[in-house]
Amino acid sequence: MEKVLEIKDLRVSFDTYAGEVQAVRGVDLTVNKGEVVAIVGESGCGKSVTAQTVMKLNPMPPARIKTGSIDLCGRDIVAASEKEMQDIRGELVSMIFQDPMTCMNPTMRVGRQLTETLIKKKKIEKKDAEAEAVRLLKLVQIPNAEERAKQYPHEYSGGMRQRAMIAMALACGPHLLIADEPTTALDVTVQAQIMELLVKIKEETQTAIILITHDLGVVANLADRVAVMYAGKIVEKGSARDIFYNTQHPYTKALLKSLPTVDTKKDEKLVSIPGTPPDLFAPPKGCGFASRCESCMKICKEYQPPTFEVGESHEASCWRLHPDFPGEKGDVK
Amino acid sequence: MEREKLITLDHVSKHFHVGKGQTLVAVNDISLDIYKGETLGVVGESGCGKSTLGRVVMGIYEATKGTITFEGKKLDLRRAKDKMEYARKAQIVFQDPYASLNPRMLVGSIIAEGMEIHNMYDREKRQERVYELLETVGLNREHANRFPHEFSGGQRQRIGIARALAVEPEFIVCDEPISALDVSIQSQIINLLKDLQKDHGFTYMFIAHDLNIVKYISDRIAVMYLGNLVELADSEEIYAHTLHPYSQALLASVPIPDPDREAGKETVVLKGDVPSPINPKPGCPFAGRCPHVMEKCRTQSPQLKEVRPNHFAACHLEME
Repeated sequence: MEKVLEIKDLRVSFDTYAGEVQAVRGVDLTVNKGEVVAIVGESGCGKSVTAQTVMKLNPMPPARIKTGSIDLCGRDIVAASEKEMQDIRGELVSMIFQDPMTCMNPTMRVGRQLTETLIKKKKIEKKDAEAEAVRLLKLVQIPNAEERAKQYPHEYSGGMRQRAMIAMALACGPHLLIADEPTTALDVTVQAQIMELLVKIKEETQTAIILITHDLGVVANLADRVAVMYAGKIVEKGSARDIFYNTQHPYTKALLKSLPTVDTKKDEKLVSIPGTPPDLFAPPKGCGFASRCESCMKICKEYQPPTFEVGESHEASCWRLHPDFPGEKGDVK
Repeated sequence: MEREKLITLDHVSKHFHVGKGQTLVAVNDISLDIYKGETLGVVGESGCGKSTLGRVVMGIYEATKGTITFEGKKLDLRRAKDKMEYARKAQIVFQDPYASLNPRMLVGSIIAEGMEIHNMYDREKRQERVYELLETVGLNREHANRFPHEFSGGQRQRIGIARALAVEPEFIVCDEPISALDVSIQSQIINLLKDLQKDHGFTYMFIAHDLNIVKYISDRIAVMYLGNLVELADSEEIYAHTLHPYSQALLASVPIPDPDREAGKETVVLKGDVPSPINPKPGCPFAGRCPHVMEKCRTQSPQLKEVRPNHFAACHLEME
């Protein structure tokens, strides 16, 4: 399989007046051509920062890449200058955001917003660019694309704006598409349309997609592989089937159980995770999840668990997976 | 078993004037009973009028047409005395725990304010109640002397719930109380709301767009589309025998956190978007997107009728 993105031991911090926020604390992730990798986690777990660092969208300072390497189609992102990044963005990697209204220019016709990139990046004539813009709008299934290209973003509905933003992201044929909560702001029926569109794009263009979300339903629908993040680290990663059917990390387990499904009975109590995520100004010495984990042991509070391989390309960071762990019965509280 | 009605809505509509002689029909002719001690879930997409309905039931908005009956008595919210009394009996928990708490008030004062307004208890007893309430919702008494910004989203939502409980209401509207919260926190709040209902016998109207949660918490579910009530039934029944095409599409669109089932399920992806509620066209509101649309759907609006026992739907289809 052809690797599109390889992140190794990435650590990103933000220097604020209150101190250093360690948003990403050692992330390893690879994304191959034509696959959808989902990054799942709660707000503040570092999933967006990880993705934004791939595009270097965080202003530096206050953001700072402490260690690690990012290899995107053979380019070294960490060392790349802002000028190089301008070429990389759009051509190698592009991004769609949660709220399409705030990411489009409200004073510019949608078609123009598409041709602007095309003319600048692909160096093509205005006329060809306009035709290409209409083709892109058709690709994302916007009806009456010719007419719609002449309209402003406010004349679009939420779902259509999201489609137009996907069209913009695809304009220069990127190898990697980062979708940061692409359906969170949308209604369920529109969400279903956008998910269908993302699958179609992946199949037709073989673009790799990083899907950032907190909705496990969306993950089950779209993702080939899943990385679960908690407190700035990936706690478990594997194929979607591994994560849903062979869950290893207590956080992933709790996350899956805390949501009612259609089958949850009324008198069943929901499993809730007590407490709140740790403060990343002063991240815990041991496992980030230790204070909320129901099977927390002494070692969890003292040392960070290494990553244990559970199966083929399925790994999790939890002391309970250590070969010397005596098994569930001998739990030491 | 005959259930006791707490609230009855009789042909309630709410219109907003949006300028240029246009009218936005947010809630269109809804009749429905809310029984004592039940949880009525209200689902629908954004802009379907579910929050407006909640606010009309709460008396925050005055209904343009129709009447609301509470405990057998018709509400006249223009009478200050009635409004005051109803405001105590019906409370609301808002969606956004960041915007719904006054940032300049101490948590203790936020919770006590309602009791002060309604002249409940004396000062000491009120203070005691604040401490009690904080403990009921899973916070502790020291939190009374803090400001809202010192709390996380889930904790703020607990404060909002404590504020609603303070005046000993009978009926609580929960307007998307968990959609602004993280997954791991959502279940904490849901469990809290369920426990409170068990202990105090509250009646809830639970507004949400997350269908799995609505099914879990509700006894009955009302599905709204573009200001209209399109289906109403017990929550088990509505999932087992979904009648209205819109409800069918809505239920099918919810992604299931299970890759095998997700891959195996039939998807009815609806075309198009929700039409504008300004000056709505005659006929069924769903006609433009409905896969089973007929000629008469575009001209006649379907009335809500009992298709199966206690299962109401507004669609021309079942009659055919």
